This record gives sequence, structure tokens and C-alpha cells, in this order.
Amino acid sequence: MQLNFSYRTTWLHQVNPSVKLSILMIIFIGLIFIHNPNMIVYIGMGTSLLYVFYTGHRWVTIGLLFAPFILIFVTTSVAMVLFGDGETTWFRFGIIHITEESFYRGLHLGLRSIVFGLFGLIFALTTRPVLLFYSLMQQFKLHPKYAYSFMAAIRMLPIIAEEFQVLRQALKIRGINYEKGIKGVYQRIRLYAIPLLAQSIRRAHRIAVAMEAKQFSQSEQGRTYYYPLTYSFYDLLFFVIVSGLLVCSLYLAISFPIFPVVNVR
Amino acid sequence: MSKKLTLTDVLVTVVIALVFSLIYKIWGPLYSFLSVFGLHIDQLIYGMWFMAATVAFLIIQKPGVGLLAEIAAAQGEFMFGGQWGISLLLYGFIQGLGCEVIFALFRYKSYRLVVMCLAGILAGIGSLWLDTYYGYIGDLALWNLLLYIGARLIGSIVITGVFAYYLVQALEKTGVTNLVRPVSRDDYRALEDGR
Repeated sequence: MQLNFSYRTTWLHQVNPSVKLSILMIIFIGLIFIHNPNMIVYIGMGTSLLYVFYTGHRWVTIGLLFAPFILIFVTTSVAMVLFGDGETTWFRFGIIHITEESFYRGLHLGLRSIVFGLFGLIFALTTRPVLLFYSLMQQFKLHPKYAYSFMAAIRMLPIIAEEFQVLRQALKIRGINYEKGIKGVYQRIRLYAIPLLAQSIRRAHRIAVAMEAKQFSQSEQGRTYYYPLTYSFYDLLFFVIVSGLLVCSLYLAISFPIFPVVNVR
Repeated sequence: MSKKLTLTDVLVTVVIALVFSLIYKIWGPLYSFLSVFGLHIDQLIYGMWFMAATVAFLIIQKPGVGLLAEIAAAQGEFMFGGQWGISLLLYGFIQGLGCEVIFALFRYKSYRLVVMCLAGILAGIGSLWLDTYYGYIGDLALWNLLLYIGARLIGSIVITGVFAYYLVQALEKTGVTNLVRPVSRDDYRALEDGR
């Protein structure tokens, strides 16, 4: 299936990639200190607004990319809901023990992973990988050998994916039977990883030699860049909007709580 | 015998990490389906995340490769909208650091199976430490928590340690490792003798 990933450029695309990444990392670390599920719900709502209206992608893309979050929500919350510690028992059957505390804690975890996922998607959908690395070189002084290696490797990804498909078809047509259990896992890893690694390392080595010859690894002063990136008004805008989102969520969580629990720890 | 990473080392490490994140990405969903039951069976293959670090280190044998491989695996997944979002970057960093500490303890000179298993264990412990913040795993019922930790660590030892070790041995037969491995004293000696 050929997906159409065309999009219109929004203000989120204009934010400097390094700034965007830094702000998201700060939010990510800050969110572990929030144990109030109400606040997470409101943050989630705000983030969804950004995701749905300001990433500039088509509705189909936005909807399709959101689908895995339902599975993520279930997988991150289920163990805590069913097997978490708690006092107020709601339901008990065999090893399953659902308590009020564990239920809200599980809910909190599930919602929080959705928030992380949404921020991740907002970043991925509004940032071109190439610009991220150019920006890291210019704003954060990342050594060019890392930046250009990452960019070159990203361009090799489609080739690796294609080789993976070919391998899968080749193994299928030869009627491969996988062994059961742990041996089967190793067999799969070996059958795929060895040819893929061998080919990719050879290719990477050739490309790297060529890149070194063209001085991609040099980092003396005064290096010029094909894409010059600077800070702009949009960086401030992004910061203000994201902090506004957090402050509003805190206010709403205190004034209009949805769940009766304010701390899941 | 420079120990500094060159562009070739960096590119090869990043590519190794991408190969593993591709393999993981394709089988990952199968196993995350298993985790719907909350019994942590999926944790058994968690070690595939750290595998890039040990494999890359065994191939390139230089300081910093383990950490770089983990960050590369995480950013590959992140840049293409992986479901776990930004959490990956921090996890990758801590796991890579775990492997790197073990390699450093052996002064980057030991490539034995035991060392790889230890690296896997420390990476596993690093990820579990983050899970106490991001997954509140400390609040699970005790038996469930032990199952979680047990499955994660067994997976780390078997996949990150044992599988990675034998995988690189098999890879050596293809000859590609000679392309990127730094020349050793033995190689110089072989040159001297040949004269």
C-alpha cells in the first residue's frame, strides 16, 4: 500500500529541531514527577489538539498513526491494573486482584504512555531528520562525523528493509521450518541478522571511506552548512504554548478533577 | 592503534543498530500482543534492544561504541514515529551506558562471553531502574514484579550476551569483521614475519 505523506507546513515545522527536541526531553523527564491522573488527562487533551490540528498531515495519516496507541494503552496498563498492589479490593479471581489504587495507577501509566507517544509523533511528523542533524551540528556543536553518519545511515534504511523482504521471500520459497522455543528465536535472528549485517557493514564501510575522502569527518572552525539553521520567534512560541498547556492542565486538574484520585503513588 | 572513533566506526555502528531495530520492529508487535495478558512474556525478548550494543562492540572493539549503538537504535525508532515516543531516547542512553560501564571495567580488552552477559545484565538493570519511574513497577504485586525482573534479565543474558557472542562468531566467517576491526599487534607482527 502506498501511503501519501504529503503535508502542509505549519508553525511546528518552523521551530528549530534542537530546541524542539530539548523542550520535549524536559517534558519527558518532568512528567515522571506528576502522579495526578487528572493532570495527565488534560495534558493528553492539549497534546492531541496539537497533534490533530498543527502537524499539518492528512486526516488519514493522523488517524492511522494514532491506532497503535490503543494497544500501547492496554499493554502498559494491564499488568498494573490486574496485578498491582492496593488496599481497596474491587475484584479478585485467582491470581487477578484488581484494587482501586492499582486501577488508577494502571490508567495513569496507560495515559502517560499515550502522551509520550503523541509528543514523539508531533516531533517525528514535523521534523525532517536531515534538518535535525544539521541543527544539532550548528546549535549544539555535534561533531560532523556523528551527524553525517546518522544521515547516511538513515538513507540506507530502505535498502536494508528491501533486503529483509528478499531474505524473507527466499527463506519462504526454500520452505524453512523454524525450531520451537528459544532455539527458534536464535535461528530466526541468525538467519536474518547475519546476511543483513554482512551486507550492511560492507556497504557502510564503502560509503564511509568515500565520505572520509570528501572530508565529511572534519570539524575545523568556519565549516559551512548547506542548510543554515538559527533560532527564531517560533522557538519562543513553541515554548510558550507547551508551558501554557502544562499550566492550564494543572489548573484544570485542580478545579475540575475527572477521577476521585489525585495521587497514584 | 587509535582508540578514537572514526567516521567509518560511527557509520558502521549506526548501521548495525539500524539492522537490529528493523528486526526488532518487525517481530516486536508479535510479542507486544503477548503482553496484553500482563504476564510479561514479552520481557523475554527485551534483550534484543541491547543486542546492538554488544554486537557492535564485538565487531569494532573501541570505547564508546556500545553507547553509540544504543542511542542510534533508539533514534532510528524515534525518528520514524515509533510508538514509544521520546521515552526511547532516554532508555537507549541508560542501556548503552550500562553496557559501556562493563566494557570499560574490563578496559575494553575482554571480548569473552561472560563480559557480554554482564553487559546485558547491567543494561537490563538500567532499564529496570527507569521502569521504576516510568512504569511504577515497584507497585506491582511481588510475584508479578519478580516475574518481570526475571524475564527481563534472562532475556538480557541469553539474547544480549549469548546470542550476540555467537552471532559475531558466525559473522567473522563471512570476513566482514576484518574490514572494520582495528589492526592489532598481531597484524603488525604478521607483517614483520612476512618480510
